[in-house]
Amino acid sequence: MIEWGASGVTLGIETSCDETAAAVVIGGGDIRSSVVASQVDVHATFGGVVPELASRAHLEVLTVVVQRALEEAGLTFQAPEVPAIDAVAATVGPGLVGSLLVGVSEAKALALAWGLPFVGVNHLEGHLFAALLDHRDLPWPLVVLLVSGGHTVLISMEGPGRYRQLGQTLDDAAGEAFDKVARFLGLGYPGGPAIEAAAASGDPQAFAFPRAMLDEGLDLSFSGLKTAVVHAVRRSPEASNADVAASFQQAVVDVLVAKALRGAEDVGAGGLCLAGGVAANELLRASLSAACEELRLPVYVPSLAMCTDNAAMVAAAGWFQLRQRGPSPLDTGAQPNLRLPLLP
Amino acid sequence: MLVLAVESATELAGVALADEVGVIATAATSRGRQHAESIAPSVKFVCDRAGTPLRSLKGVCVDVGPGLFTGLRVGIATAKALAFALGIPVVPTTSLEVLAQALCGAGAAAGSLLVPVVDAKRGEVFSACFRVADDSHVGAVQVGHVGAVQVGEDLVSSPEDLAGSLSRLGEPFVLGGDGAMRYAEVLGKLPGARLASAALTNPPVEVLAVIGVARLGAGLGIDGAQIAPTYLRDADARIHWEQRLLPASARER
Ligand SMILES: [Zn+2]
Repeated sequence: MIEWGASGVTLGIETSCDETAAAVVIGGGDIRSSVVASQVDVHATFGGVVPELASRAHLEVLTVVVQRALEEAGLTFQAPEVPAIDAVAATVGPGLVGSLLVGVSEAKALALAWGLPFVGVNHLEGHLFAALLDHRDLPWPLVVLLVSGGHTVLISMEGPGRYRQLGQTLDDAAGEAFDKVARFLGLGYPGGPAIEAAAASGDPQAFAFPRAMLDEGLDLSFSGLKTAVVHAVRRSPEASNADVAASFQQAVVDVLVAKALRGAEDVGAGGLCLAGGVAANELLRASLSAACEELRLPVYVPSLAMCTDNAAMVAAAGWFQLRQRGPSPLDTGAQPNLRLPLLP
Repeated sequence: MLVLAVESATELAGVALADEVGVIATAATSRGRQHAESIAPSVKFVCDRAGTPLRSLKGVCVDVGPGLFTGLRVGIATAKALAFALGIPVVPTTSLEVLAQALCGAGAAAGSLLVPVVDAKRGEVFSACFRVADDSHVGAVQVGHVGAVQVGEDLVSSPEDLAGSLSRLGEPFVLGGDGAMRYAEVLGKLPGARLASAALTNPPVEVLAVIGVARLGAGLGIDGAQIAPTYLRDADARIHWEQRLLPASARER
């Protein structure tokens, strides 16, 4: 937990992709409630997130999710009385524009009705905060490996709000590679858990899949790996899904761990941190932890609930942002291509 | 009985404040298609201009479509959130009815037929038929409706199919809405057709507000949780994804 010297209560809202989420966080680090309504069922038959269906689902459930988050935090209110919160924060980007608009519109209306400041939050910054929610006295700079279905970046965090990008994927995000390979293998959606489950009984050495750019800089690439999986399966149609999945997963994790460690070494990091949906992968968590322990480098692996998209991270980042940069204007819209604000 | 109206079903994004006496303040922008950017500041603007805090609102009236999916979601998310936050009911109204009541208020004779048409994009239109009720107009509010009474359902079709149906009506009718304007060549020249003025391209938020006051007064406000857009059309994305993804989804072996 980072001490920000204040105890403001923030309602956070997250609708950037396929999770409808709301949460109440006190002082940027004390999670009072975190409600996530997953749309996995809506998109499962399509093997990926269908933007129009995601937007429809967000609108259907968001107000109920917000209500639950307030109730679970003990903040029931009798309108026109205002619940005991100090700010309303919502993800404004990056993400699916139609999905973002639902959360942004809801959050601005709540803030207006209750006379509270609205804060538009960068989803990626939210993920960086998620990793820090459980910890105090963090050793800066922290190197954060943010891996999800939409993003794969290596960030050096010199403090909250102070970021330098060390590397990023040049093509697919790691989570995207999991989804594509899972779909190709007919394992279902979402791909991360599907690959992980199939890999559990497989041999990670069955196939020598490429570790792209392993010795070159801090950028990453996964499209070649995906192609290698396709070729391998076509060459050996008798290969088991378990062996293919295990070998693929091992290749992804090897690259991620190697890049994260090199990034930490390059900037003289005080610690390494995982964030994003792919950070829920057990092999990645275990491998990175083991590698860091060997180097006596502090490692911070967030709880599973803080890896996947949630609104507690949005509330935490929002509270920090409100104190540092003030509220966002009411004419804030969705910013689907928003980038992480980097230090000059 | 102060009602806030939120209109975002077409390219017009508007907010209006009204009570039994009439419209008090209004803010609308058109053609920008930046509904999310303008709705919230417009809510603040009309309340500030009217010197009214939001907590004195007694209801929200929202256009639930059919119309632009994204615009609708912005307006409906706003209305649902305001209703939840303030503990007030929502009056849902369709874009086609707002247009019909506006056409009615613009001087259509009693008994005449009104055909609001909303551009559904991708070569289609949303439409419905309304008839002007006797001895009523926008100013004289009746319970449950405000002057024009809908006859038949909300439809989605090609402009050509709509033209075919309208040509079989056998009586004069008044066309309005951005769909009627866009497809004036197809729809406006039909026998008996009269095209409303360009002022009725988009559902006017002031008319929505008047409908809202009437309906709320008649006890027709409902819980915001029950409000959903009238899409009238499956997600285009769904169709595309089905075509794009499903054949590749199974591993062949
Ligand atoms: Zn995310």
